[in-house]
Amino acid sequence: MALEVKLLDSKILREVRELVRPHNPQYCYQCAKCTSACTATKVIPDYKPHLIVALTRLGLIKGLLDSGIIWACTECWKCSEYCPQDVAPVEVVIALKNLSVAMGYKPPEDLKMMAKNVVELGYISPPIEVLSKEFEMYSRSALSLPELVKPYIHEGTAKNLKKLLGGIYE
Amino acid sequence: MSEVRIGVYVCHCGKNIGGVINPAKVAEYASTLPNVVVARDYVYMCSSPGQSLIEEDIRKYNLNRVIVAACSPRMHEPTFQGVLKRAGLNPWLLQMVNIREHDTWVHEDTPDKAEEKAKELVAAAVARAAHLYEITTEKFPVIKSAVVIGGGIAGIRASLDLANAGIKVYLIEKKQSIGGKMAQLDKTFPTLDCSQCILTPLMVDVSRHPNIDIYAYSEVVDVSGSAGNFKVKVKLKPTYVDWSKCTGCGTCVEKCPGRAPREFDEGLGVRKAIYFEFAQAVPRRPVIDPKHCLWFTKGICRVCEKVCPVKAIDYGQEERYVELNVGAIIVAIGYELYDLSRLKEYGYGRFKNVISGLQLERLSSADGPTRGKIVRPSDGREPKTVGIVLCAGSRDEKHVRYCCRFGCAAAIKHIYYIKHAIPDAKVLVFYTDVRAFGKGYEEFYQKYRSEDNVFFIRGRPAEIFEDKDGSLIFDVYDSNTGQLINVKADLVVLEGAVVPPKDWEALRRVLKVSCDPGGFALELHPKLRPFETTSDGVFLAGAIQGPKDIPDTVAHAAAAAAAAIGFLAKGYVESVPYLAVVNDEVCSGCGLCVSVCPYDAITIEEREGRRVAKVNSIRCKGCGACAATCPSGAMQQNYFTDTQIISEVVSLAGGAK
Amino acid sequence: MSKFLLFLGCTIPTKQYAYEISVRSVLPRLGVELVEFPEAGCCGFPLKGLNKKAWIYMSARILSIASKKGLPILALCNGCDTSLRKIKDLLKHDEILREEIAKLLEDEGVKLNLNAGVYHTLEVLHDFIGVEKIKSQVRRPLNGIKIASYPGCHMLRPSDIPRPEDPVEPRKFDSVLRALGAEVGYYPDKGGCCGATILPYSAKHALLIVAAKLKTIKDYGFDGISTSCPYCMEMIDAKQDAARSEVGDESISIPAFYLTQLVGLAMGLSPKELGLNLNVSPIESILEKLGVSLYE
Repeated sequence: MALEVKLLDSKILREVRELVRPHNPQYCYQCAKCTSACTATKVIPDYKPHLIVALTRLGLIKGLLDSGIIWACTECWKCSEYCPQDVAPVEVVIALKNLSVAMGYKPPEDLKMMAKNVVELGYISPPIEVLSKEFEMYSRSALSLPELVKPYIHEGTAKNLKKLLGGIYE
Repeated sequence: MSEVRIGVYVCHCGKNIGGVINPAKVAEYASTLPNVVVARDYVYMCSSPGQSLIEEDIRKYNLNRVIVAACSPRMHEPTFQGVLKRAGLNPWLLQMVNIREHDTWVHEDTPDKAEEKAKELVAAAVARAAHLYEITTEKFPVIKSAVVIGGGIAGIRASLDLANAGIKVYLIEKKQSIGGKMAQLDKTFPTLDCSQCILTPLMVDVSRHPNIDIYAYSEVVDVSGSAGNFKVKVKLKPTYVDWSKCTGCGTCVEKCPGRAPREFDEGLGVRKAIYFEFAQAVPRRPVIDPKHCLWFTKGICRVCEKVCPVKAIDYGQEERYVELNVGAIIVAIGYELYDLSRLKEYGYGRFKNVISGLQLERLSSADGPTRGKIVRPSDGREPKTVGIVLCAGSRDEKHVRYCCRFGCAAAIKHIYYIKHAIPDAKVLVFYTDVRAFGKGYEEFYQKYRSEDNVFFIRGRPAEIFEDKDGSLIFDVYDSNTGQLINVKADLVVLEGAVVPPKDWEALRRVLKVSCDPGGFALELHPKLRPFETTSDGVFLAGAIQGPKDIPDTVAHAAAAAAAAIGFLAKGYVESVPYLAVVNDEVCSGCGLCVSVCPYDAITIEEREGRRVAKVNSIRCKGCGACAATCPSGAMQQNYFTDTQIISEVVSLAGGAK
Repeated sequence: MSKFLLFLGCTIPTKQYAYEISVRSVLPRLGVELVEFPEAGCCGFPLKGLNKKAWIYMSARILSIASKKGLPILALCNGCDTSLRKIKDLLKHDEILREEIAKLLEDEGVKLNLNAGVYHTLEVLHDFIGVEKIKSQVRRPLNGIKIASYPGCHMLRPSDIPRPEDPVEPRKFDSVLRALGAEVGYYPDKGGCCGATILPYSAKHALLIVAAKLKTIKDYGFDGISTSCPYCMEMIDAKQDAARSEVGDESISIPAFYLTQLVGLAMGLSPKELGLNLNVSPIESILEKLGVSLYE
């Protein structure tokens, strides 16, 4: 089944371009140097940064967002480092991640948890006790480290973050 | 010229002007202006009847000024000046008014206003015309000789063409032999000719030609004078060998104990401290490298002096300078490979088995470091798997933005080298786009992608790592098959980016040649005049104007030579009509004009106890910077005097009607 | 420059305690004064996938608070270091965004100010303290111990903003290790990724990534690995066992340390002062070579 040309649209590309300024995904000439460098593709073959840029350019991202494959990016930044056209594929993927969240797609559960913790606690996870080699549990104070100062996050800042992050951690 | 009698001619330019405004109305308006004796409109003023119209009017009405309101003077000023000349008038009594590019072409949507503007522009021209005066240009004799800077294939071709046309040529080459990059190649694409076999006969032709003097191991350090009469100062670097006595027997080289990496082999081979650049060198004379000579570094040896049969060794030789007086200069200094160690991810310079395409040429060459055997630099073993990386540094915003033009064809040729030397080798070519644009290139590409065990992978390696045995390991994604391939290669060849030579920056300032965004010499017009520069008498031949393969280089060099021949054939150069002119009585000799002149055309002279500016009419290009800067108005520019310009401005400010 | 705001980020103060412990023990002894920065919080790096502006907001906030205090920031985590420098660069060139962020900061009474200097642990060790000084403080040289440096992605990239290390051939890390008397060496893909970022997406694949790195390092004959990022340490140390079982390769067993722990060890500090009992990987073999008992 061939793809119908009316599905090709620049709208999503324009939104992505706004988010990735000053990089330009339209400069990409599909050399695939990014995918050759990509950390994720070596273990998750379906994840291919050059393909994500190509699909974004055509506006054909529904499949990408539905599959959630964009969350496979390890953000190692190798693609951007080696890209000869300053496309910065990682920035395109981050833009798609942002757009998907804004559209209502669910990000990985643990990531949602981290966001929730930052807004409520100021850190991506609450302070935990760790197990030592001698099988003892140690907290910060047990290790003679200074206590974390409360409130961990300012009220106003938390409110702003909540707004920016949207309702993802309902 | 007491009475000013102006003829105004308004062109329709077909529908370009006539489709937007009514030229007849403009002409009618013009006829009401002061000093206007006759005003007409016509559909194509530049055509034969149009021109005749003007010519007849000049004679009939005794016109002494002509205004043509039409297209841009860049299009037809010479055309209409021709009309004036035929009618016996000085061509600079013509004033063109641009009512096309400056009016109807940009104000199509407001035709009424466009017509008003046309009238105002014509009125301004009429006001200016009253102040126009006759201008004559000066002729200066040119010297029928040329300096060609650079002795590669471009310089060789240009020199031969010039010399055959009877022009004396001084060929300046910074290395000790002419031949350039082509001498380093094994074969040339797509014909697979032996490079030196087709090059060396030309090198010999150059050395034997009665009209060519070769200055090898020399560099141009300064250029003064002007087009047609350049004074080129050349530094002859010390070779420490008296080349006039030397017979090129080579005994010194044979006996020399000193060693150094061989530049001709791109660092792969070894040479002596006294050496010929290569065996077929022209001139075939050796040079001592003081950095590696035992006498210069440690005060011992001097074997070459002892064995030389003609006592040509001269350790005390010093650099010399000569000044060459020539009419034209051709720049043919070629290109350099981009420093591939800057592509840190590829490991060039860190990993022994990552080499450049030029280094592969040397390995493959019969006179190379391995006598033509293609081997891995790390252990001398034959590589069984070879990776060729196209666009290494090219088309890359972080390195070199433009395409190197010949990398693809060179890579296809390299497939041939490797398969011919090692028939069971596996060759992987990592490409993005293959550019096989030249004559015979597509056939060449078809042939070598059809070989056994040759794989074109559409993808670019990102990072190359070294394995414990010196092999290179890396992943590359093939977008044709959608596969990530894990490659282990014995040898990796980088087809590197191409940049102008390092010494170009200093040389071009001496020649007053601009550069393009890539740093290459800026041509006068990229399409129509690619071998000329904005500096009269200075021409461009070969890759210095932009990356080229050999056929394009030769064509370009021949074109530069032809242009230079044409320039010199006239026998004279003419000063520009828009010359800067000094009013001696007003000039105070402040020297501000000197400081702004980009052509070094003005000097301050002592005359009768006063300091006065003097303009060199052949160097002056009529840019007007001095006239604009002059605080007293002593410096004026022909055809753009203060009076002429102000009269136009006053008219425009006062408005038409 | 010898006084820094100690910026812990969020992983170190809540879980990767050993890094904080070793930094607090080692850096003051080398002449660096650490000033507490308790109100800093998270730099926002992990949140950029959810909302880029939230990330920019949080890093801009930290820069602004530090600028007001007039002190440079010492970032212990690669991610924090990259965040702060990237946001400095981003906002420098984007006036509209600057205004938006400034407005958000007003709600906390913070004035937008991006001037504070940002430095990473490695930079402070190599560029400010210097390898000569470190060498002079070594009492228990790590002779005969071959350590693989594992700088981590975000110490090296993106390289269009200032980074502590050269993006392809990291040299400073190895210089510091050499100053401690340790042996260093090459292994392929030293600048490679530990996979931590995709733990939320697929822990299995994150483990596959780090397992491959650990295997390569083992193959090249290293006795141990050192890093200076808490994310990387989490993967190569805490998750080493899980990585081993995921690929079913028993050879993946190698001691992992924070760089500051190794510096402290070489300086003669006790394991307790360096939080060494919190490392999960089998560091005992290295300690034995140095004649150090974990519980002294």
